[in-house]
Amino acid sequence: MALLQISEPGGKPAKSSHRLAVGIDLGTTNSLVSASCGGKVEILPDEDGSYLLPSVVHFAANGEVIVGEQAKSHAISDPANTVSSVKRWFGKSLPEIQAAAQSSQYQFDPGRDEQAPAVLTAAGSKDPIEVSAEILKSLVRRAETCLKGQLEGAVITVPAYFNDSQRQQTKDAAELAGINVLRLLNEPTAAAVAYGLDSRDEGDVVVFDLGGGTFDVSLLSLRQGVFQVLATGGDTNLGGDDFDAAMVKLLRQKTGVDTAKQAGREAELRRYAIELKHRLTESDTAEIELGDYRGEISREEFAEATGSLVNRTILTCRRVLRDAGIEAADVDNIVLVGGATRMPVVRDAVADFFGKTPLADIDPDKAVAIGAGIQADVLIGNKSKDEFLLLDVNPLSLGIETMGELVEKIIPRNTTIPVAKAQEFTTFKDGQTAMSLHVVQGERELVSDCRSLAKFELRGIPPMVAGAAKIRVTFQIDADGLLSVIAEEMSTGKKTEIQIKPSFGLDSSAIEEMLQSSHDHAKADRDARMLREAKLEGEQIIDAIGSALKVDGELLEQDEKAKIESVMAELRESMEGSRPALIHEKVEKLNKVSSGFAARRMDLHIRSLRGESIEAVEMSKD
Amino acid sequence: MSPVNDSYPAVISPEHTFFELFELEESFDIDTDAIRERYRELQNQTHPDRFSGADEARRMQAVQQNSLVNEAYDTLRSPLKRAGYLLGLRGIDTDQASQNDLGMDLLMEQMQLREKLTELPAGESALAELDKMKQDVKERLHGSHSTFAKQFGDNDLQAAKKTFFEMQFLQKLQIEIEQSEEQRLGY
Repeated sequence: MALLQISEPGGKPAKSSHRLAVGIDLGTTNSLVSASCGGKVEILPDEDGSYLLPSVVHFAANGEVIVGEQAKSHAISDPANTVSSVKRWFGKSLPEIQAAAQSSQYQFDPGRDEQAPAVLTAAGSKDPIEVSAEILKSLVRRAETCLKGQLEGAVITVPAYFNDSQRQQTKDAAELAGINVLRLLNEPTAAAVAYGLDSRDEGDVVVFDLGGGTFDVSLLSLRQGVFQVLATGGDTNLGGDDFDAAMVKLLRQKTGVDTAKQAGREAELRRYAIELKHRLTESDTAEIELGDYRGEISREEFAEATGSLVNRTILTCRRVLRDAGIEAADVDNIVLVGGATRMPVVRDAVADFFGKTPLADIDPDKAVAIGAGIQADVLIGNKSKDEFLLLDVNPLSLGIETMGELVEKIIPRNTTIPVAKAQEFTTFKDGQTAMSLHVVQGERELVSDCRSLAKFELRGIPPMVAGAAKIRVTFQIDADGLLSVIAEEMSTGKKTEIQIKPSFGLDSSAIEEMLQSSHDHAKADRDARMLREAKLEGEQIIDAIGSALKVDGELLEQDEKAKIESVMAELRESMEGSRPALIHEKVEKLNKVSSGFAARRMDLHIRSLRGESIEAVEMSKD
Repeated sequence: MSPVNDSYPAVISPEHTFFELFELEESFDIDTDAIRERYRELQNQTHPDRFSGADEARRMQAVQQNSLVNEAYDTLRSPLKRAGYLLGLRGIDTDQASQNDLGMDLLMEQMQLREKLTELPAGESALAELDKMKQDVKERLHGSHSTFAKQFGDNDLQAAKKTFFEMQFLQKLQIEIEQSEEQRLGY
């Protein structure tokens, strides 16, 4: 059977010119840009030869915008106008930003909606999208200088745990910077691509990425040029910082030093703790010289103090394996990414859990950007398509709110994207014409514990008895991990489509327009249905009276019979048209002129059966 | 504008069954290597990245068709989903289970196994017992797969439906055992 009609993908890409596309790692602290040069993807340096661009933007009163290392120096002299770590603000409301650390030096624009906060700078009000766009523009300038040409597109990386609105904001920032976004790519996936293409290994690979503040695990299958993310997981509140804090606590216990009330001393203790941590990476024990205290700390003591943190990383690994349906022993390679994986306590636990020694031979600072560069090169058409295809998953479950503020999962986490799932809903009240839907993202069972993505109302449902209306809602996640929702009203036979991008930058007038058009559609549908129903009613009464005239016609005087027949003709005529109201009117008229006839017939039949009076029958009719 | 791909994505109709899409017989036993290979082929034909330079309509079509390919693969490679899908093709609804479908023996067994799980001591001492239970359930799950394959092959759909619910129960139990294990490992 010819099941698929496959048209050969439009020939080979034009090989004449190399198209310029870059990979961008838009990081919280530093950002990088990479591109393919002579068949190999490399990180592009600035004029001074440095690869890392600090993700810091300074807005001067004269309108000048400074990005990177130079902006960093302004962070001390002019903190209020120098924005750093803006990535942490993506998808967050003002109270959420203010609750987190490192935002006290900024003044936020009181004129902005709480859901769309912006910093007041000397150059005006700047939201996270605008700040990020400045970083991206700076990277594009660097790339265009390096590559001596104009960029045609970019792949931008995002943390795997980024939710829909954070992804949308990243994309908005890129578009504001004039970048054609080829794809948003999950950071651990990018790191694995860099590793996989480098080693040309086949098999299942775990990327274990423990950074300063976050933890990510991804399991990928690399086979015949297809990179498939099987599952991904993580902990947004676990990183090297937590190990530092554990060391500080351990030091306090051992030395009895209490620095809680001395701000300066606290920072000093922390620096010392980090130094000890590094020394324990090099050797089994480390000397402590702190104040009057002299002593020693061992790797075992540190392992014991951080046991629960390490366990949390292993738990995430287990969940990822379970989601993918793979045993720890079946994993072929483990790749360590992120500075915190240098700690032997982490390495040993990982080696122990998977039963093999992890690899750590890719530069953790560069891997993500290189992976993005490889993907950009493929998507712009420089690489043969047969060489490489990347299949990713949605890292967070998608659900809707149901009764009792519970979440019903529609698309579970770690489903390969793109994905579409349809769900049918119905009305629970007679005549209900609207229904609200609340879409959330997250793993928890209660709505309040998940991230709210969109709340919208479907209006214009034709009024029917409870349970008769059928609304099919389709949730579609595209290759960037972005969601759209399509609602179709099925019961009228006509479809009503509403497409909503539940994003931060949602244009409310666009939604209104969509809802209005759905309403109009629904009205047309409703009119059509009313006409059908009116015609049906007309046919029924014509049938009923026609057959009664045949059976009991002798009960009527000649003029009575003629009157009924003429109104029946009027009704038939109205049914040729398209006005339900006119049909109703004629039905009523026919009922009226034939009511005497009906009463006489009923009287006759009932009396012959039970011997009751007409009045009694009419009473019981009510 | 881009020469990456100007053709339309492969024509995949929602009318086709997942088995037709993957060029397989309608049977529970399937060749996992073959479906993986066919999946790769279908991905190469329909993935939106193959149409990154094409116009909006083509990209939308690719997203929809690729979603269908993903759903089909997801259904076929999972024994439980595959079994439910096969029954659905034969007009058997597996969304609702009556007591009759489950059978008294399965209901009793469910209760006993759940009780056993909750009565295990809270500490690490139960780990060996949990591991044994896990192996046990795994073996029984394999057994129920063979039973289902035979019943479905013989077109004994009522019996196959009963086995489907047994598989569903065993899979749930497997997850519960693993969670119980994680608790005891101190995660």
